[in-house]
Amino acid sequence: MKIICFLLIRALLMLLLYIDNVEAVAYCSLRDPVAQIEQLFPQKTNQLSIVKTVGEDTRALVKIALPSNDLHFNELGRHTLYIAMLGKEPLGYVHVRSEQSDWGLVEIVWAIDKDLRITNFVFQRCRSPKKKIAQSSSFKDMFIGKNYQELKELLSYDGITAKQSVLENAQEAPELANVVLRCALKTLLLTEMLWGEELVKL
Amino acid sequence: MKPLSFIFLLLYFVLLGAVISAPCYADFSKNLRWSLDGSARLNHNDAMDNTSRIYAFGLDTHKVFTNASGDIGYGVGQLYWTKLSNHMPVPFLFTSKDDSDFIIREAHLNYTAGPNWLPNIRLGHFTLPFGLEESIDTNGRLLDYYLGKNLGSKLDWGLSLNKVISKIEYNVSYTLGGKDKLKSIDGSYAVTGRIGSLNHLDFVVGLSLYDGKIDGISRKRLAIDWRYYWGTWGILGELALGEDNKQDNIWQKEKYSLLELNKTSINEQLKLYSQLILRNRESQANTDKLINIGLSYQFTTQFELSMSGVKQINRPASGIKQQLARVQIRYRY
Repeated sequence: MKIICFLLIRALLMLLLYIDNVEAVAYCSLRDPVAQIEQLFPQKTNQLSIVKTVGEDTRALVKIALPSNDLHFNELGRHTLYIAMLGKEPLGYVHVRSEQSDWGLVEIVWAIDKDLRITNFVFQRCRSPKKKIAQSSSFKDMFIGKNYQELKELLSYDGITAKQSVLENAQEAPELANVVLRCALKTLLLTEMLWGEELVKL
Repeated sequence: MKPLSFIFLLLYFVLLGAVISAPCYADFSKNLRWSLDGSARLNHNDAMDNTSRIYAFGLDTHKVFTNASGDIGYGVGQLYWTKLSNHMPVPFLFTSKDDSDFIIREAHLNYTAGPNWLPNIRLGHFTLPFGLEESIDTNGRLLDYYLGKNLGSKLDWGLSLNKVISKIEYNVSYTLGGKDKLKSIDGSYAVTGRIGSLNHLDFVVGLSLYDGKIDGISRKRLAIDWRYYWGTWGILGELALGEDNKQDNIWQKEKYSLLELNKTSINEQLKLYSQLILRNRESQANTDKLINIGLSYQFTTQFELSMSGVKQINRPASGIKQQLARVQIRYRY
């Protein structure tokens, strides 16, 4: 019994040393975006999860890289990047990010290739009445194929809205274009910042 | 807490302790989430003219197991020291109104690496897959979908087969009916299952089935649950029909329904909900009608304040209407 108590206390102390940001919800409620990964990479045989911490230091770096932007508090904590696998071969990456909008949080499941370019995206949650427009290929094409730098060029001077040309292409959903653009930028930035080293080794 | 289940979770945490203490910490900490979770709840039961408190402090963990070709599965372990203070009626996990004990909430492993045609296999102590609770986790929150009252237990030890496929998701379990005990007691068991549309959609509908015997009461249930979200509003409901057999061969019909309207702020810090709960038993002359209004406010990622008030709107045979006010603060570190 003494050994068990010793191990439990030691485990607790070690955990305190490696303290991380936590999620607000109990971990039994975590759900992988299984159906969306299947939709984005239909040929995949499995997925490989890599969990990293989005902490206050990361948040500060995002504010420097993307002035006028911030991470929602739900975006802090331990987050998963999924590698879509065909056998032991990585096909690409899947990263879920949330962005605040006038209709609550918009959660987007991003498919990213090995060069960190957007290859596709689907909504995990989007309660905008104009969601269908954002699901059309003409809307998606504004973001697909682009990397972080190319997407950043779509931002206007205020750093939070898209340039006029993007808003015009977004038909009647310019607000969603702003949300999707900000979310894409943060997703690619965080993917490289937190997971970049491990992805190179794959 | 009884020995078998306690040993199951103790082994989990001892293993966790052993590997964390060992040099291979870096490997085990990979894909590990953990949190210290503390809460204090104040309850005032107006019908009983009683004020009580519940304190809980525990460790919440989640670990994804992987190999070179992908994820193998994940494990969830939640062990909470829970202390009652003047709490009446005494919950089944405790022996007196001021009792304290270590409580296992969820403790299970879910194997997910099988081929596409094979369901995932979950083993351990988990929430029964039934109704709204399958999609909306209420563990540790004031928000409740009354799974325990409806089925006889919210969590149980056993095995489940589950999967998300392109348009639907399902979860079917066989559990021992011992609730917190890792054994069948006097022939107890529970077969529970839910099939539904994908959980992340704006409109979700699910069908649940239950057949079990827990605490000597046989229950059968068939339920439909649904959720619809529009902007920051949500409307959801559950209707469960069935029958209970408290004594041999005397089945009595039961009907339970819940309707909820909820609203969140656009930054999700504030959540408001109102519920109408109707519960009808064949043996009762009147349908119990309750209103539950609640809110939660997330100050930071760690800190949440919740409040709720339940009031019975019909006059029960006893003449004493249920009336309960609760406040909870919760901190996850």
